[in-house]
Amino acid sequence: MFDLVTWPKNPWSIFDELESMQDGVNRIFSERGYDRQGVRRSRPTFPLLNVWSSADGVVIDAELPGVDAKDVEISVLGDELTLRGKVNLSDPGNGETYHRRERPAGEFARTLQLPFRADAGAVKAHYKNGVLRLTVPRSEEEKPKRIAVEAA
Amino acid sequence: MTEGQEMVRKGATDLSAQPGGAQERMGLETDLIYVPDVDIRENSDCLRLEANMPGTDQDSVNVSVENGVLTIEGQARVDTPPGAKLVGWEYGVGRYRRDFTLSDAVDTEGIRARVRQGVLEVTLPKREHVKTRKIRIET
Repeated sequence: MFDLVTWPKNPWSIFDELESMQDGVNRIFSERGYDRQGVRRSRPTFPLLNVWSSADGVVIDAELPGVDAKDVEISVLGDELTLRGKVNLSDPGNGETYHRRERPAGEFARTLQLPFRADAGAVKAHYKNGVLRLTVPRSEEEKPKRIAVEAA
Repeated sequence: MTEGQEMVRKGATDLSAQPGGAQERMGLETDLIYVPDVDIRENSDCLRLEANMPGTDQDSVNVSVENGVLTIEGQARVDTPPGAKLVGWEYGVGRYRRDFTLSDAVDTEGIRARVRQGVLEVTLPKREHVKTRKIRIET
């Protein structure tokens, strides 16, 4: 597992939070399965992720083709989200031999540090066409609030 | 395949890693052609090919055989969440393609394919004469 990214706990940082999210994600993602020349490292990152951010929270897509939904575990604790599970572990059947075995197989775990505390009870997961989509809302107290300026 | 289209493995450095780069402006859909990872298994009756093609479904995948070459192709799509900004990307979304040369042992008429959870499964039966037959020894 890679080092977790730490986020500044500066109360004024809400104005550039998107940018710091960007930084954090890029640092997380520098730990990829391939180096800059595109050569596969010994332990590729799995699953690959894409992340979107909005005022409500983040949406994370994970490429997990062919997994069984019951073999994936998603846990959220404060601002840490962990995705773990197993994929493609079936043994060859009787009298079967492999000619190629390129698809990732085994157990996986990835932990992301979110730039906010998540509302763990409201995280949604939807699996379609081999892509797991996690919708992770901010906890209510962390949502940006609009403050009306009162006229004097 | 259009000339000049680059074929890459998913997760290779195919996306711009820079903030403000191409992905941030244009999203995840790329012009690259992704080479899917495959498992190929054989038993006495058939060969079974499984290809990881996440983001595709039954309608966006095409399997064909021409001159003894099996071609698998697919077009992946992404549902961009409305009102959200792409902030991190490890994989692009685009076309998949890979070719396999078949041996004469494959009965091309009997090839079957289906897509399940982003995995294309192709079953290639062997011709009768190459199937392993167990011959009972008479006593």
